[in-house]
Amino acid sequence: MMNRIWGKTRTILPLLLWILLFVAVWEVGALLVEASKRTPENVLPHIYQIIEAALNPKKVSSGESASQLVLSSAGLTLGRAALGFLVGTICGFVLALIMKISKIVEKVIFPYLMIIQMIPILGMAPIILSITGDINTSRIVIAAILTFYPVATGTLAGFNSVEKSKYDLMHIYAARKIDLYTKVLIPTAIPYIFTGLKIAAPMAITASILVDTLQGDKGLGTLLSQSLKHAMSIYVFWLIVFFSAFVGILSSKLMGNLERIVLPHKRIRVSRAKEESI
Amino acid sequence: MMNTMVRETREVEINIKDVGMTFRDNRGNDVEALTGINLNIYKGEFISLLGPSGCGKTTLLRMVADLLEPTTGSIHIGERLPREVRLDKKLGIVFQSPVLFDWRTVQKNVELPLEVMKFSKSERREIASSMLEMVGLTRFSEHYPNQLSGGMQQRVNIARALAVRPELLLMDEPFSALDEFTKEKLHEDLMQIWAKTNKTVIFVTHNIQEAVFLSDRVCVLSPHPGRLSGIVEVDLPRPREIAVKSSARFNELVLKVRNTFDGGSL
Amino acid sequence: MTDKRVREKTLIQKIAENKRVQSASTFVLPVLFGILLFILWEAGALHVLLNTDTFTLPLPDRIFTIMSDNRDKILSNVGATIAVALIGLLAGSIIGYGIAVFAALFKTWGAAGLSIVAAFNAVPIVALAPVMTNLSKDISDDANTRSMVAKILVVTIVTIANMSFNAFRGLTELKPFAEDLMSSYAANRGVTLWKLRVPNSIPYIFIALRVAVPSSVISALVSEYFAEYIIGVGRQIRENIVLAQYSSAWAYIVTACLIGITMYVILMLIEGIVLKRRVNA
Repeated sequence: MMNRIWGKTRTILPLLLWILLFVAVWEVGALLVEASKRTPENVLPHIYQIIEAALNPKKVSSGESASQLVLSSAGLTLGRAALGFLVGTICGFVLALIMKISKIVEKVIFPYLMIIQMIPILGMAPIILSITGDINTSRIVIAAILTFYPVATGTLAGFNSVEKSKYDLMHIYAARKIDLYTKVLIPTAIPYIFTGLKIAAPMAITASILVDTLQGDKGLGTLLSQSLKHAMSIYVFWLIVFFSAFVGILSSKLMGNLERIVLPHKRIRVSRAKEESI
Repeated sequence: MMNTMVRETREVEINIKDVGMTFRDNRGNDVEALTGINLNIYKGEFISLLGPSGCGKTTLLRMVADLLEPTTGSIHIGERLPREVRLDKKLGIVFQSPVLFDWRTVQKNVELPLEVMKFSKSERREIASSMLEMVGLTRFSEHYPNQLSGGMQQRVNIARALAVRPELLLMDEPFSALDEFTKEKLHEDLMQIWAKTNKTVIFVTHNIQEAVFLSDRVCVLSPHPGRLSGIVEVDLPRPREIAVKSSARFNELVLKVRNTFDGGSL
Repeated sequence: MTDKRVREKTLIQKIAENKRVQSASTFVLPVLFGILLFILWEAGALHVLLNTDTFTLPLPDRIFTIMSDNRDKILSNVGATIAVALIGLLAGSIIGYGIAVFAALFKTWGAAGLSIVAAFNAVPIVALAPVMTNLSKDISDDANTRSMVAKILVVTIVTIANMSFNAFRGLTELKPFAEDLMSSYAANRGVTLWKLRVPNSIPYIFIALRVAVPSSVISALVSEYFAEYIIGVGRQIRENIVLAQYSSAWAYIVTACLIGITMYVILMLIEGIVLKRRVNA
């Protein structure tokens, strides 16, 4: 029992120390900035100042406090990011499936898939907005395109990782094609899909925020540009920065947790002598 | 070749006639993997295909399993082609590596072929459980494959192959990756299971002792090109125990097998 | 029992399975598809599909005309974007690799620090870019220089997050017993680093670059939106759209795509040359 506690402490301790170090460096920077600027909070405020602003119930704009403002706009932005993420995941998965089923489709599409990775989709956000004309649709489209690539390539990698002996086994059972896909190919691909999802989740969020900045509409991005232009307290800006960073990291971790639920066998440490119950 | 007169009355299950297999390698050259294989396998017998790597023994097995088609000659199982037997789902195969699905429990792995063959849920459960009991792994039925040792995984592999009650059990060097102790234990287990179920077994191996210990007959194959050098009858009484490996007759047979081989050292 | 002959393949099967046809089709099919898309675009079918007009989505020949007419202006913007991307890429890769080396040499402390650095991967660029712009306000009196610094910082941070993680894997995921071998030669940590870990990490560097190169281009483009000085391909896209000059905007979009593709192709060529002699384990 003590061993387990010590073990956990050992892993967390270095992490805590690094976080402390990070905070320390930040504070030093903030002090330097404070000494040389009139409005230091525009450049690099102290951490405690940011925390203070977060907890401050003073109404900043339209009857809401700083924190409330950030959170309510966040809901909007994140909700649409999630929708785009879902659409992209499904499309990516379906495309990979089609590419696996038909060799012709694979050959035609594969280079274009590579090209999608190479072109800066995020940079094309303004034009997608113009084409679709509607900010919500464009948000979903961009998040979908960004999610689509990692999921499609991940799924394909998963399909292609199935060893020949599994194919032979299914052949011996005279299994139908659909059994091959549902019982072998798709389950094998799932860990790979999650790798793709972990990459895609923060990107979908980034895309959603970016689209906000292009056109005023209550999302996080609009709030971001407004506070940068001093339409409201600059602390809102900092809160958004930290919040989006936090959410970005959280979304990735969330995918990891989801994976552990869907794939319980991955959690198991390979220990043959012990009989672990699941 | 030993006299086949005693065996004439037994029923021929598999007829391999004039079978040859030619591959085209990467450079476009023809490689003759097997040539002129003529062999009759009897119902209920345990026969080994023995030889070094490259002698075509796995190729021959895969042709019986309908994973490959011979370039010349024919194979019949009963009156049927391997393809028909496979589509009829009467084949069981045990590969060298366990080929278990990591994301399924041991029980679910054994149920896999039954799912493909559309057995009902309760039937699957029942059959899989009895198979696991036969290989002695009931305690581990809810474990995942990567929690089991290599030997245990192979036992699951065998349980799964037997779950569909195949006419023919094909085994491709199933124990080569295991250590000697585990191997011996599994030999014993396999012999017990075989005695109980009376299936026809084709067993591929490169280990002479293993072949002689387990089989009724040993087919010796030599490479370049793969050909049948001879068949040795193993007349050791059954049931066979590990102790028989130190008997004089056993060693005579091993020597005989060695001498049958004519492609270099075995 | 009938004698089985080798199955006669039908002519179509023979063509389909022919190796030369197969390798040719890998190339030919996508090209045909691309040409089809191009024709659809020029003919206006694409507009019907996307429910848009030739104003918002100009025809290809119009785009090319604009591109060749404004060649100089486009090139100077391209220069600005590429400079940011490349400098950030280089700085980020070097620093990231350095961090990875540190983490590899001091395992327990390093791994935790690395997870913090890798966390930056998940920080949206949109949060990072304005912060950097603000931080660099004092660097110089020239708005252009200030913006360049800010943008380069963004690309650098994003690259560090990526490179450090992958380089760390390269420095530590060694074949079994490789470390034991080195210690049997009584090699100290420095020698092991130089002779074993670093060479082992080279393929991983390329794995990192495959993501880092496109991502440096994207980061450069996005950070241009938040920068003070109006320059750069990404910024030009935005500015032109705001002014409803769609043809020019598209000219820059095509340029951005070309930048992305060219840099990636160059990367693949370099990778091919450097990794050619290595045998894949």
